[in-house]
Amino acid sequence: MSGKIKNFKELEGCVVIYTDNYLNDIEGGKLEDECDVFLNGGKRKIVIDFANTDLVNSIGISILVGIMEKVKKRNGILFFSSLKKVNRDIFNILGLTKHISIFQTEEEAIGKMLAHE
Amino acid sequence: MSDAAYRLERLLFNMDTLAELAEELTSPKDFHKIVRSSLYMIMGNFSASKGAIFQFDHDKKTAKPIASKGVGDINDFVIKLEKETIRGLVALKTPIDLSSNKKATSFLGVGKTDLEKIKARILVPLVVREDFLGLIAIGEKFSGEVYSKDDFRLLSVIAHHIAVSLHNQSLLRKLMGKYDENKKLYEDLSCIYYDTIHAFATAIDAKDAYTKGHSHRVSTYCAAIANEMKWSQDETEGIRIAGLLHDVGKIAIDKSIINKDSPLTNNEFVELNSHPAIGYEILSKVKFPWTGIPKMVRNHHERLDGKGYPDSLGSDEISLGAKIMTVADSFDAMTTDRPYRPALTIQRALAELKENCGRQFDRDVVMSFFSILRSEVGKEGKPTILPFLSERCVHELKNEPLKGFL
Repeated sequence: MSGKIKNFKELEGCVVIYTDNYLNDIEGGKLEDECDVFLNGGKRKIVIDFANTDLVNSIGISILVGIMEKVKKRNGILFFSSLKKVNRDIFNILGLTKHISIFQTEEEAIGKMLAHE
Repeated sequence: MSDAAYRLERLLFNMDTLAELAEELTSPKDFHKIVRSSLYMIMGNFSASKGAIFQFDHDKKTAKPIASKGVGDINDFVIKLEKETIRGLVALKTPIDLSSNKKATSFLGVGKTDLEKIKARILVPLVVREDFLGLIAIGEKFSGEVYSKDDFRLLSVIAHHIAVSLHNQSLLRKLMGKYDENKKLYEDLSCIYYDTIHAFATAIDAKDAYTKGHSHRVSTYCAAIANEMKWSQDETEGIRIAGLLHDVGKIAIDKSIINKDSPLTNNEFVELNSHPAIGYEILSKVKFPWTGIPKMVRNHHERLDGKGYPDSLGSDEISLGAKIMTVADSFDAMTTDRPYRPALTIQRALAELKENCGRQFDRDVVMSFFSILRSEVGKEGKPTILPFLSERCVHELKNEPLKGFL
């Protein structure tokens, strides 16, 4: 099962979602649904941590773009963290790195997120 | 990242997408899931947040979504496509940038307004051999970048793959439609076939006031014995039909002979005993889907000791099917009233079968028949023979032990 959320962590004012090792089929759409639930529940600050994710393909990108669009619509803030180089390169060639803040570690992303007004 | 490195990475990513798309389109998954995955791949490849794939309905001249993402619930959304529009799309084949000058997209007519509702930016017709199958519509890139010529080329390749898949699915759907149609026709014909044979069996039995239901019972007993002797389902079905028709030759016998309650004259015997041969003559002209039916009917009054009729065959010359039919026919004859005598008790009938093993009846067949009765009296499994016996026979069977016969 790819793209499944292993777990998530709710901090004061921010949610951290941990993705599974693959984000490469439409089952990964559950990640988008989960983000929907948080957004509908009033959460506006979301960090997605990719530490466990080895592969993001075009399907995974479409799911992440869907999340980026939804967060943007609700004036929320979305950070990515712990992206492996191969996945970061994909974001780069698709021009997405200009539209999303990517941090080396989850802690760094949370720190920036919590400091963000 | 240098420009060359960037272009190489982009190329590799596109190739990965194409390889995954080919794998997806040839996978045995549910078709709608495949289309959805394909749409996600296209959208991801171009970082588009909105997109849909439409399938064209040639009868209604409309395109309906079969997969969508980022455009909300568009299940009821329908794009009307005029003949001119379709002609234009088929001629064009390549992707269309809907934001380009109006002239290039004018042929879309009302369809363009529909596509604007879902904020489609690029439209890709799905065409196989001049046959218009549908559309891919995708929105702006999330990055805000414009679609390049390379993007258009890649979209054309992807669209071709998806169009072929849609075309195959459409062919498969038509084929399945024909299969269902033929299957129903076959089932209807089968029903007519069985109903006709049953009606025929009823007509045969109607000739004899004493043998009402005889052919149906013999048919059931034959099938039960065949099943007990591990015949295949198809062979069992064959002997079931043979049982229904085993007395068809009686159609040619004078009714007064069949129903005569006093001893028959020699000539009358000869006429009555000709019914297996007449039955064979009638049935050998019928093309049955099972083999051996006419022979079983001809030989159902043969005996293992060669004293039967019409051919006085020896044991080795009589088929197992005919031997089964002989036991089934004799058992029913013994357990039902006849114009010249009342029905025997079940004990007497079973004793007759046992005593005549090796002379008139085949031992294995008789033992199989007893085995069925024992199981059914012991309430093992669904009864096949007991429901056809008279109340008196069932009562006798349940109260008299079958020990001596098994």
